[in-house]
Amino acid sequence: MAIAEVQKVQILAHAGVKMEILSTLQEEGLIQLERANFEELDLESSFQEVSHLEHRLHRLSSALVYLSRWEEKGFVKKLFAQKPQIDRQKREEILDFDYLPVLDKIEKLEAEKDELLSEIRFLEKEEEFLNPLEGLELPLRSLKPTDSTEILLGSLPLSQEQSFKELAEKEAIWFEVINRRKRIIYLFLIYPKGEREYFEQILKDLNFVHLYFTENMLNKADENDKVKNVMEKIKEEIKEKEGKLANLEREGQNLFIHRENLMLLHDVLLNERGKIFSSHLLGETERVFYMEGWIRSSDAEKLKSKLQPYTDAIEIYARAPLPEEEPPVILKNPKPGKPFELLTKLYGLPQRGSFDPTLPMAPFFFLFVGLCVSEAGYGLLAALLSLLLIKFAKPKGGLLQFLKLFTLLGVSTAILGALIGGWFGFPVSELMVLDPLQDPLSFLILALVLGFVQVWFGTLLNMINGIKNKLYLESIFAQGGWLLLLPTLVIYFQTKQSIWGILSLVGASGIVFFGSPSRNPFARFFGGLYSLYGISRYLADVLSYSRLLALGLATSVIAMVVNTLCQTALGIPWVGWLLAALIFIGGHLFNLGISFLGGFVHSMRLQFVEFFSKFFKSGGKPFSPFELESKFVEFI
Amino acid sequence: MELGFTLAVFGGALAVVLGGIGSAIGVGLAGQASSGVMSEDPEKFGSYLLLVALPGTQGIYGFLSAFLVMLSLGLVGGPLKSPTIYQGWQILIACLPVALAGLVSGIHQGKVCASGVYMVAKQPKDLMKPVIMAALVETYAVLGLLITILLLNGINL
Repeated sequence: MAIAEVQKVQILAHAGVKMEILSTLQEEGLIQLERANFEELDLESSFQEVSHLEHRLHRLSSALVYLSRWEEKGFVKKLFAQKPQIDRQKREEILDFDYLPVLDKIEKLEAEKDELLSEIRFLEKEEEFLNPLEGLELPLRSLKPTDSTEILLGSLPLSQEQSFKELAEKEAIWFEVINRRKRIIYLFLIYPKGEREYFEQILKDLNFVHLYFTENMLNKADENDKVKNVMEKIKEEIKEKEGKLANLEREGQNLFIHRENLMLLHDVLLNERGKIFSSHLLGETERVFYMEGWIRSSDAEKLKSKLQPYTDAIEIYARAPLPEEEPPVILKNPKPGKPFELLTKLYGLPQRGSFDPTLPMAPFFFLFVGLCVSEAGYGLLAALLSLLLIKFAKPKGGLLQFLKLFTLLGVSTAILGALIGGWFGFPVSELMVLDPLQDPLSFLILALVLGFVQVWFGTLLNMINGIKNKLYLESIFAQGGWLLLLPTLVIYFQTKQSIWGILSLVGASGIVFFGSPSRNPFARFFGGLYSLYGISRYLADVLSYSRLLALGLATSVIAMVVNTLCQTALGIPWVGWLLAALIFIGGHLFNLGISFLGGFVHSMRLQFVEFFSKFFKSGGKPFSPFELESKFVEFI
Repeated sequence: MELGFTLAVFGGALAVVLGGIGSAIGVGLAGQASSGVMSEDPEKFGSYLLLVALPGTQGIYGFLSAFLVMLSLGLVGGPLKSPTIYQGWQILIACLPVALAGLVSGIHQGKVCASGVYMVAKQPKDLMKPVIMAALVETYAVLGLLITILLLNGINL
């Protein structure tokens, strides 16, 4: 089924055109290079080149981080932002742009900014320190011990205030309270110098903390400057430095015009590095180099024509993969099935001999998400939003596929919502074929029937795949046995007609006699009986689909709850309508979110655990071609 | 009010409270893990949010079942019903699947999501794998909800 054919391509060429050929291959992105079995020469110089490039790239990306501050802000703007584009063939022209002065300038600006910031932080610390001492009415420089007295500034825990006062009265301490804070008082005190050690000890016992002005503060103070004046000076200095900072910002903003060029340059250099890395995969001699890799068979001709200019210096071979080789896997599906490849890739790519399960899985997943959410309004909203995003945000790659998938799921939800759900919690009964709230049993049966169909289909795929891989007996009799047994058993229990019973016994005997690979007849028989016990697994798998009902009901009931709350809110006078509108919008958006999350995840689980386990073997390696990678720009 | 009515209200309350406890613990576990990881790697907030939100469904299922109980009692929208004692017990018992399954599965789903957060921190591309693992645990909350809805639907007042 839908796996693209790949070939091994081997290229032998003259060493002189090595970089040109690698450039072309990188531009086209057709080949996944493999390591060639040859010794490498000349590694030393390329490592130097790589480290040089790494250094440049590092400088460029930190400059870009710096410039990104002047990017347009806002969630919507970011969402719809487009990457700058560059012609892939002309990408090397950007290397002429003289970017080193710009980088130097940015680095200088950043260094200056860091310095200013740390200076400002230092000044702010000083101001913080001076703040409680603002009330001190003495010049800073006058606070020096005299011949006979010691002058101190300091703080004391509030709890010690009383004992300090008593002490001051008893001894010869003069003091003044400068400031009172929640738990601390700030003091200025004078005592006789003669008994310094004694005073120091008793102050220490009271938890007195000595405060000193720093050299910097004293330098700032003129002869008569008080704490207040010094603080003003510091504030002024901070303001001045902030002004400088603002100037630096403006200078930086002026460099913003270079941002796009730096982005282009970054990505071009990134790919130069990629080219050197891939050249390590080649086998080289002094005159010739050899490379090999995987290519889509349909791209082989294109590769040859792209390498036409070097035709004198090159030899290209392509061949089918050998049985012992493990080629990378490329999924190939028609357009509507493509978004569902995301799920397959998530589970794992098919291994050799298995096949791509995307198309068999897609219709079930489509249907199940619709059943789980089953709300027409939400479906339309989701589809509309995804379409708008695709149209205006122009996403690429995986995100685009995801949005496409979401559009499809929105459509499915809208259809099934109209049939079995409602429109934002209001059922439109003319459109409905089944109301799960009134008749949950019918919905349950529907869910189980869908589950039965998918599980049976999975077994059928297993049989087909087995036949393809030449496991005829086991596939036809054991898998075929299941295919016969499962539906006939159900019909037999419904109708009790013996013909169905006999048919189911025929199926069961197929499983008993061919279900075990053993050659020993006894082991084979009992092994077969044991595999018949697998019917409990089938039962459990089918019952697992009952979650479709539960999740579907949950969406409708929560939507109903939101609307009931709205009705209650409408009863409130004056602001009732506003409140109701808020509840309606918020509630339904919330429900939309959790319903799609639940619906998506549980439907995915049904595919992975119940469906894929029947037939699918993952373990293939993804195809990752040697191509232009981009971080900031887009190569066109 | 009759005893039957009280029992039914008790059932609804149990569904909300036990489901809510399960979810609260579960979301709490995953939330702690993601906050820890985000201290090193703040970029992937969106992916972590998804994993943290997953164990929240049990609480919603409990809430939903309680709402169905209120609907059938006429506490919302309709005239008040007066169920017999037996009907009251029936409603209470019908609430137990969603309540108990929610309580236990919420906690365990939280643990799975918390390890999922660690996994995404190292393998950012594999976000959906832990989500699927968490959904395997949630299955039992979904089955509990299913049976509670079917039981409540079958009890006619």
